[in-house]
Amino acid sequence: MATITLKNISKVFESTGKKKSEENTRTLAVSDFNLEIKDKEFVVLVGPSGCGKSTTLRMIAGLEEISSGELYIDDVLVNDIEPKDRDIAMVFQNYALYPHMTVYDNIAYPLKLHKVPKAEIQERVMEAARILDIEQYLKRKPKALSGGQRQRVAIGRAIVRNPKVLLMDEPLSNLDAKLRNQMRAEIIALRSKINTTFVYVTHDQTEAMTLGDRIVIMKDGFIQQAASPQDAFDHPANIFVAGFIGAPSMNFFPGKLLRQGDVYCVQVEDLIVQLPEEKCARLAGKDVQPQDITVGVRPSHINVDTGVENELTGTINVSEMMGTEVHLHVKSSGNDVVIIVPVIGSYASYEKYLRQDEVVKFSFTGEACHVFDSEGKNLEF
Amino acid sequence: MVRRQSKLSKVLLSIVLILFGIYAAFPIIWMLICSFKQNDYIFYWPPKIIDESFSFNTYIKVLTDPVKLRFFLNSYIVSGVVVVLTLIIGIMAAYAFSRYNFKFKKPINSLIVGVQAIPQIVLLIPYMGIIVAMKLFNTYWALILTYLVMTLPYCILMMTGYFNTLSKELDDSVRIDGGSRFRALWGVLVPISTPALVSVGLYTFMTAWNEYLFALVLTQTTNMRTIPIGINLLITEHNYDWSMMMSMSVLGSLPILILFLFFQKYFISGMSSGAIKE
Repeated sequence: MATITLKNISKVFESTGKKKSEENTRTLAVSDFNLEIKDKEFVVLVGPSGCGKSTTLRMIAGLEEISSGELYIDDVLVNDIEPKDRDIAMVFQNYALYPHMTVYDNIAYPLKLHKVPKAEIQERVMEAARILDIEQYLKRKPKALSGGQRQRVAIGRAIVRNPKVLLMDEPLSNLDAKLRNQMRAEIIALRSKINTTFVYVTHDQTEAMTLGDRIVIMKDGFIQQAASPQDAFDHPANIFVAGFIGAPSMNFFPGKLLRQGDVYCVQVEDLIVQLPEEKCARLAGKDVQPQDITVGVRPSHINVDTGVENELTGTINVSEMMGTEVHLHVKSSGNDVVIIVPVIGSYASYEKYLRQDEVVKFSFTGEACHVFDSEGKNLEF
Repeated sequence: MVRRQSKLSKVLLSIVLILFGIYAAFPIIWMLICSFKQNDYIFYWPPKIIDESFSFNTYIKVLTDPVKLRFFLNSYIVSGVVVVLTLIIGIMAAYAFSRYNFKFKKPINSLIVGVQAIPQIVLLIPYMGIIVAMKLFNTYWALILTYLVMTLPYCILMMTGYFNTLSKELDDSVRIDGGSRFRALWGVLVPISTPALVSVGLYTFMTAWNEYLFALVLTQTTNMRTIPIGINLLITEHNYDWSMMMSMSVLGSLPILILFLFFQKYFISGMSSGAIKE
């Protein structure tokens, strides 16, 4: 139940050279990070390893010093406040359960440290255990639990205190795929049971998309885009976000942006498609000039064998039958293109897409196109 | 590759091992045997394991002699305090080495390792000077402080290594749950470090309990002597009281033997399993 404000937050790791000849190295882990997290919002920080997402989370937790900038929790500057005084809870990737304590004692530990009366501890531990369905394991030690159960205990220890902010650092990355899906659903369910602000770190874009009210995509310490999952998917701010969000990744083609008055067209090889009105309006509003661009199209937005004029052609390298759809990996004029072909109708209708080296023709409409300039920035922004 | 041992090699191996076992255990067995004999019978040839002089007399003498009991008391006090101080200081130093980055961390660490490499005899005269200057000569503190120098480096190195194997997320977790780093150390890391603490504690106790050279030089009066010196005091100009020495040696070895047996069950690995996803 708190707002979090990050103002120009930066984190520099300095390591001193071992010999006099070696220079001290400065690594910029997080750079000029600005974000306002609303009360009870679920924000997901997502990005590849080393992008600074965990460092940002640890700065919010107080486990990492802030090199510069200001961090507010509920409008209180907390830069120099100890983690224990920030009223936050955190779930760690490795669970970090106390191995010499029973599950009950693990969950009760934060309450004991806050000198909560014994009867209330009992009540609240039982409540947390009930929410997470771990009541039958309370007397066990962590080593007698499975990975999923341990993670539940870790979550229990975090929620038992009714913290202002709940931080989660890749909590599902140690679980196997099936359990991960199950726990993901449980976290969504948990959210409706406990009213608090969530900040969640993951490198998995699926987790980010499904969990977050808002996702913050990071790379090399910089925020690339902060938007709702759908917005980031539909209107990626740059090529990095476009490629990172969505699975399989977006396809990119070198192309040209053409303009006739307020109408814009995109040309890839010989295929020319007109952009829809709203895109044209945005481009015209910014007076974008014709130029060399990168065209991004999502695999599911590419159509095969539609008979459109000047279709692109390619040969199937690999085709992956997924049940309801086939993922084609196509080689086309030096580009690797992934196309999702829905499986509808009889086997004969899609059988040709399962054959290697089969030539396919494909195209896309203007609605499906994302246009990026030579620096990778979305021209619509 | 599994190689089957032939029967013959197994038998040979067993014989060799038994011979070595006897060789290693012989002094202890002989010590036990002699402690129950009267002094004059010890040198009889051929030796007998039990002869007509068998008795517990020497033990009774040792245990009823206030002077000798004082040796034991002194040893217990010195060794006990050394163990407690070594563990407290060592644990905190090891935590700092394991968790903090500070200036001159490497040189300080090298210094600690280096201290162990210096032969103790070289340090005898400087320590004598320091202890006398500090007016600690012939006190428990004279022994405790010098023994700490011998035991602390090992403790710090061992515990640093052990703490390094424990995830830093455990500390982070305690700090978030509402505790301090101090709390994380004593409330979580130390309880799950029992195997390392037991081995360090035993090593420390043995070092302090067995030490002879500094105990001889840094104490003067009989009431401040420890057991190793006390045993040696039985050698006089005209008389070697072997059976008395042996019974004191047996009594002197008992605490370490008991400690080993008692703590054996703690020498189990995996005390920390379950904390962190391996």
